[in-house]
Amino acid sequence: MLEKIFTAKVKGYLVSNVVGITIIGITKYWMDQNGQPIIIFSEFVIIPLLMGMISAWFWQDLQLPSRKLLLYSAYNCFLAILLSYIFLGEGIICLIIVSPLIFCFVIAGAFIGRNLYKRNNDTLNVSVVLALAFVFIGDAFWGNHQYENEVSDTVIVHATPDKIWKNVVSFKRIEQKNAFWLFKIGMPSPIESTVEGNYVGAGRKCIFSNGYVFDERIATYAPGKDLTFDIVNQPKDPEIMNHIDIIRGQFTLKDNGDGTTTLIGNSWYKLYVFPVWYYDIWAQSITRNVHLRVMQHIKELSENN
Amino acid sequence: MFDFVVRHLGFLKSVPLLPQVFEAFLIMWSFIFKPEVLDCIDTIHDEVLSWDGIKECRHKYGGMQFDCYGKEIGHIHGNGILDILFSKKIKEQLLAEGKIKDHHIFANTGWISFYITKKEDAAYAIKLLGLSWSKINKSTIK
Repeated sequence: MLEKIFTAKVKGYLVSNVVGITIIGITKYWMDQNGQPIIIFSEFVIIPLLMGMISAWFWQDLQLPSRKLLLYSAYNCFLAILLSYIFLGEGIICLIIVSPLIFCFVIAGAFIGRNLYKRNNDTLNVSVVLALAFVFIGDAFWGNHQYENEVSDTVIVHATPDKIWKNVVSFKRIEQKNAFWLFKIGMPSPIESTVEGNYVGAGRKCIFSNGYVFDERIATYAPGKDLTFDIVNQPKDPEIMNHIDIIRGQFTLKDNGDGTTTLIGNSWYKLYVFPVWYYDIWAQSITRNVHLRVMQHIKELSENN
Repeated sequence: MFDFVVRHLGFLKSVPLLPQVFEAFLIMWSFIFKPEVLDCIDTIHDEVLSWDGIKECRHKYGGMQFDCYGKEIGHIHGNGILDILFSKKIKEQLLAEGKIKDHHIFANTGWISFYITKKEDAAYAIKLLGLSWSKINKSTIK
């Protein structure tokens, strides 16, 4: 009876996912910087490779043609993503972002495994397993897991700095429809900003479409020139929690002398997910679209007044 | 892209697992842009392994290599490029048939490249590998 349920195909899915989720679960609580969990490069590269290789080990007697092996591996990825949602508490948008990495490396692992386990291939070597273990341990213990970056965007506003300034400090609800695809599928986007007062140290709130609020404190208040604020509290949203910290935001205004102003938005953030070469592309894109949504709104408000 | 990696990043082939990762990405590329190439490779693989003395092993860049009594008869990369070493005389004859090209890297040698792009190419690829196999098999038996 059990043999009918736990066929080689099912075992390939099951064992690879149990191993993958277990290692990620353990590393998630083990890898942290001063209480801040970080997700290392190996968890998105080495573990999916290993999962693919484990599944290929169970599927080797099925003699799967290439397309079928690819298809089975794709199902395996969907299962891994579903289990990450259930057991690791990851947000849906996060899983969409991470899925290309998972797909690539699980499929790569399955083909590597198929190649390694071929009966006539007597050169399979412990070196492969050792190489994976070495990279994982090396990354966990000696890898650089500190990464901060800044994103800067510019918009030309057809108004003078004094007309723009009040809309920079705080702004009414954004009614404009979202254009960025991640916002369209449910990622929260900024909709409103409020401020306690016009002075350094005053509290400011940036409210997002799902009701989440970023608490900010004004660090520089130079009317018509510079509004800089530190983020003192960010929402505990599974989409961002333990993945990214927004550290500071800034709007600067430069009078162009022809009735227009250059509005510059800057954000500084810290990433807790690696590899940077992959996640920073997403972080920059999302931050840029947050900027542009707010700055376009400021532009409209200022130009219509 | 493939040629760039082989030409300029070829020194990385000795890093454990990297050639296999590269090959896996070539296979994924084929799956997305020309999936029939994967079927061709499977057909070629099954046919060639049924011949006497043939053993499959990994090519140094991660591809599928066929050896006959320890001598290579040819190898296929995941993007459908079949590479075989012939004598220059045979290469000239094959070039005249118009289906093969100079090797994608070693143009001035006996190496040839055959680009598998459609289902029908499997038969010609098998013919080329068969030619190489018969020569090596014959010389080995002698």
